[in-house]
Amino acid sequence: MSLENLDIKTKQMKNKIVIVLMLLMGSIISKNAICQSQNTQVNTVQPKIMVIPYTKEGEDIRTILEQDVSRRIAITKIKEGFDGRGFTTVDFTAKLKAAKDNSVFTSENQTDIKAQIIQMSGADVYVQAEVSSLKTETGSSVTLVLTAYEASTGNSLSNKVGESGKFYTDDFGKLASKAVESCVADFLNVMQVKFTDIVNNGKSVIIDISFDANSTYKMSSELGPDKLPLSDQIEMWMEKNAFKNNYHIQGTTALKMIFDDVRIPLKDPTNGNNYNPNKFALEIFKFFKGIGLQPTKDIKSSTIYITIK
Amino acid sequence: MYIKHTNNLCYLFAILFLFGCSNKSIPSSAKVNYLSSIDGTITVRAIGVGENQLAAIADAEKNAFEVLFFRGLPESEQKVALIGSNEIEENQKYQTYFDRFYKDQRFKSFLMSSIPTAKATNIKGGSKSIAVDIKINVIALRKDLEQNNVIRKFGY
Repeated sequence: MSLENLDIKTKQMKNKIVIVLMLLMGSIISKNAICQSQNTQVNTVQPKIMVIPYTKEGEDIRTILEQDVSRRIAITKIKEGFDGRGFTTVDFTAKLKAAKDNSVFTSENQTDIKAQIIQMSGADVYVQAEVSSLKTETGSSVTLVLTAYEASTGNSLSNKVGESGKFYTDDFGKLASKAVESCVADFLNVMQVKFTDIVNNGKSVIIDISFDANSTYKMSSELGPDKLPLSDQIEMWMEKNAFKNNYHIQGTTALKMIFDDVRIPLKDPTNGNNYNPNKFALEIFKFFKGIGLQPTKDIKSSTIYITIK
Repeated sequence: MYIKHTNNLCYLFAILFLFGCSNKSIPSSAKVNYLSSIDGTITVRAIGVGENQLAAIADAEKNAFEVLFFRGLPESEQKVALIGSNEIEENQKYQTYFDRFYKDQRFKSFLMSSIPTAKATNIKGGSKSIAVDIKINVIALRKDLEQNNVIRKFGY
């Protein structure tokens, strides 16, 4: 083998090594890029939805659910509808059982139990199913009234009435199932329209601003560098900070100011992270500190309570 | 001289009038009517127009999807539009998806059946028109739209 040939072979070898190294580098860089993009991806926090049965005043919901299979079937079919859309609901029966096991609640006041379970579950939205069965000479039928509400604000998200149609049968479970099938898809479609509206126009929160019993301030107190009344300063701040300038004042008195609908974004506009009422409450807290007040903040679900000392 | 000019002007107006009439475009009705729906499927009767029977059937199928995407079907479980009512904007926004959907005939995979109700009939201009009963797998269609980020998944 001549020296020239050896030189050519060495050069080829070098080239091959360089190519292999470049490929390796490339794969490492692309892997890192994928990892980084995965790290920066933010999953939107989804609302917690709970399906509950409708109960009349004084009715024991536990007894009703345990004794009435058609209501259980209706609730399961509704949850099936959510599952079909790839959405997981909070299981009402499991929560009820947990509450029972923990002996947190007594069965004396059913309305309170329902409200407390909703609070305990942290559900943002609850879906109420009212099942009524009817048996006549011309056949049996089940009617279902489905309503979805935002737990904190009470805003209605979707309402549908489902009918099973009349059949000569005593199988009310099957009829309840048919009643759900007749309206659940449309019910979910309307809910999704409202969710899209929330994504585009912000989530609704309630803000309750009041004064501590020992506070010397009032809503008319003139504060800050501009010496403007406190209520006006609060509204000016809300004007700037409510999502798309969307807010509604329920009322203002000397000792209280209630915003019954303030829209906040689902994502932080500055960094794209998830945004929630707690973060908005912090911004309000900073505003009050900025004008020389001593506030305290409490947050329950989507309601922000600000108390000025 | 004067009469000649007047005649020319008349001819000009007549031509302009005829062109004006021929260019006037009236949006055609969707010609899609709801028939039934069972377990995540929707059956509709759609009318399509094309050069031949096959083209007319394909047009009917396209019409059915367009109505589901941009109008919704009253009486069905999909009363609201699957994507949105502004079809021009949505078509521009998701052009790649729709190109693949129609040109590559991906829409066929969401068709459970497509049965002509009668033979194609001849219409003005040598085209054929046909009514087709079309059954669409709405669950799979919705999933596909979600996976391709054309619509948002259920929730926020």
